[in-house]
Amino acid sequence: MVEDGRVVLADALARAAGIDRGTGVAAARMLAPAITLLARSRSREAAALQTLAGWAGRFTSRVSVTPDALLLEVGSCLRLFGGLDKVANAVGEGVQAQGFTAALAAAPTPLGAQWLAQAGTAARCSDGVDLRRQLDALPLDVLPERIATVLHGFGASTLADVRRLPGAELARRIGVGCRQLMAKAFGELPDPRADFVFPDRFALAIELPSSVENAVALLFAARRLSFALSGWLAARQSGVREFSLHLLQRQNETRLLLQFSAPTADQRRFERVLRERLERTTLAAPVDSLRLEATQLTALPGRSQTLFNDSNDDREAIGVLLERLAARLGEAQVYRVAVHDDHRPECATRQLALSAAVTPAARSTLPRPLWLVAAPQQLAEIDGRPCRRGPLRLLAGPERIESGWWDEGEANGDIRRDYFIALASDGCWLWIYRDARLPGGWFLHGYFA
Amino acid sequence: MLSAAPVSLADVLARPDVWRANGLASAAIPTLGSGFAALDDELPGGGWPRGTLTEILSDQAGVGECSLLMPALAQLADQGKFSLLVAPPQALNAPAWASSGIDLARLIVVSPSRASESLWAAEQALASGALGGVLCWTTRIDARQVRRLEVAAGNGETLAFVFRPARARAESSPCALRLLLSAGARGTLAIDLLKRRGPPCARTLNLAVARPVEWREDHAPQSALARGQFPAPAARSQRPAVLA
Repeated sequence: MVEDGRVVLADALARAAGIDRGTGVAAARMLAPAITLLARSRSREAAALQTLAGWAGRFTSRVSVTPDALLLEVGSCLRLFGGLDKVANAVGEGVQAQGFTAALAAAPTPLGAQWLAQAGTAARCSDGVDLRRQLDALPLDVLPERIATVLHGFGASTLADVRRLPGAELARRIGVGCRQLMAKAFGELPDPRADFVFPDRFALAIELPSSVENAVALLFAARRLSFALSGWLAARQSGVREFSLHLLQRQNETRLLLQFSAPTADQRRFERVLRERLERTTLAAPVDSLRLEATQLTALPGRSQTLFNDSNDDREAIGVLLERLAARLGEAQVYRVAVHDDHRPECATRQLALSAAVTPAARSTLPRPLWLVAAPQQLAEIDGRPCRRGPLRLLAGPERIESGWWDEGEANGDIRRDYFIALASDGCWLWIYRDARLPGGWFLHGYFA
Repeated sequence: MLSAAPVSLADVLARPDVWRANGLASAAIPTLGSGFAALDDELPGGGWPRGTLTEILSDQAGVGECSLLMPALAQLADQGKFSLLVAPPQALNAPAWASSGIDLARLIVVSPSRASESLWAAEQALASGALGGVLCWTTRIDARQVRRLEVAAGNGETLAFVFRPARARAESSPCALRLLLSAGARGTLAIDLLKRRGPPCARTLNLAVARPVEWREDHAPQSALARGQFPAPAARSQRPAVLA
């Protein structure tokens, strides 16, 4: 990784070749001719930190972003997570799952934690004594470069050496900045940080390193966005019923709307639905970047394990199941039915989306079949008698159903029919009608299954 | 299960009236009453088995295949459980389901466009273990796929039914309970228990499932229109001698 003609980050192979932070580009090329030099992008780094900051809202409401680091105030939530190690592991795993690598460190002071992380110590200090011991051992690299160079000149190589230097003299020579930094890191001066302001509506985009032509390959990037969304939601104790994923292509934009049966902030649920949805999406053109938007938040009730009984767990499992089904098969293929107040049989059933409320229906006493044939089938007629694999016996009827002249323009329109309950010779109970309008004829309309 | 007393059971099998009272009642599998006493008497555990797949073989729509399950589905809805219908053969007529005692708020329908997707959906639904009942209609399903559903059903205590065409009776099936439906005499539903855990059931059950009109001996067309057109009512249909 290169910035301003100098290496800022080198991997293990490069370090083995003698390349390290500060090595010039020319020198690096000479030391390792096969080296891959990548330009550092400050804007993408900042964007990545913003994404992570949004996600980190799942751990704590107090997150702070610095140009080089992300600070999480976890002191107040240690008991919730069951200790510092557990929080740190969860953060580490979460960051890794989103495709980043993180140097983590925990300390009682924000600057102390940042320095320990920068030095790659993975330290987890919980008290001041531990913090001083860990910080004392740090090299001067963690200090601003100008100060570090001067201090090197004084013969110091660790922060402990710097602390041994006479304070007043040091301040006179290199300014008070160094002493203030040290005091903040060691907890001798307060170090207030501006809280990261979680955005009001969630909209986050990531640019893909290269154009992607296969929708499934987008899942990796989309996951990162869903991680951030879930953290952001957790910070506001809210959930979403839907969010949209925009696939930005060179010419146009594809918008996928993902819906959930109940408001949720569960990242695994987001990921499952994203996967099912992307698997059945075909891309017309390569995608350059992704944007995830969520606008309508619903407050989630705080959950407490003991208050939840089995049926609620079931309900959540059903919600998860239905989302998967809807994501893979299509929203329109998973539905509920409700009674609609219309006496034309075709209009008495409404298909409802899963999220819609079903109002209890008044029970009707009229005999109605469980299955309705979508388009009534014309029945053969022998001597004016309806037949279906043999003559049909009419057991009850007629029941005249006549209505709908007012919406004649529609497909169902005006009907005038005499309905009968018929028994076929093979023992099937059918609902048939004779069309009272010309040209008449008998039709099969339902099965008393 | 009937394995509680296998030796004595073998002797008892010769007398169906005896094992019905004792053998089947000792089953340990969770069940749900079917709502038909005559059927419950013949089912191991005294009802529809839960957490295992039951096969229903039937060719004719309208023979009473749904009415058979309706009391059980209504019970599940009363308990607050949800049921899922996968790939129903026709459109649901909501008023009829509601008046059969089903809470429509607890009934979910999945209508995939391809058969493979219905099996996938049914498998997912069974594997979640969260539903009260899953009914799946299939036309073409092989033993391996039935087995997959059967394994998925084992994940919970879901009441699981798969509808297959009657020709499947010739194929072997991993399901512990298989029923063949046909029209019975006098408006009943005839059930042959092709397979169950325990002794085979030789007789055909005739169940009085819900019918749109009550069966009467003199069932004759009543309308003036029909009387005028049909000089004599057709002979009452008898139960077909051969089940196909």
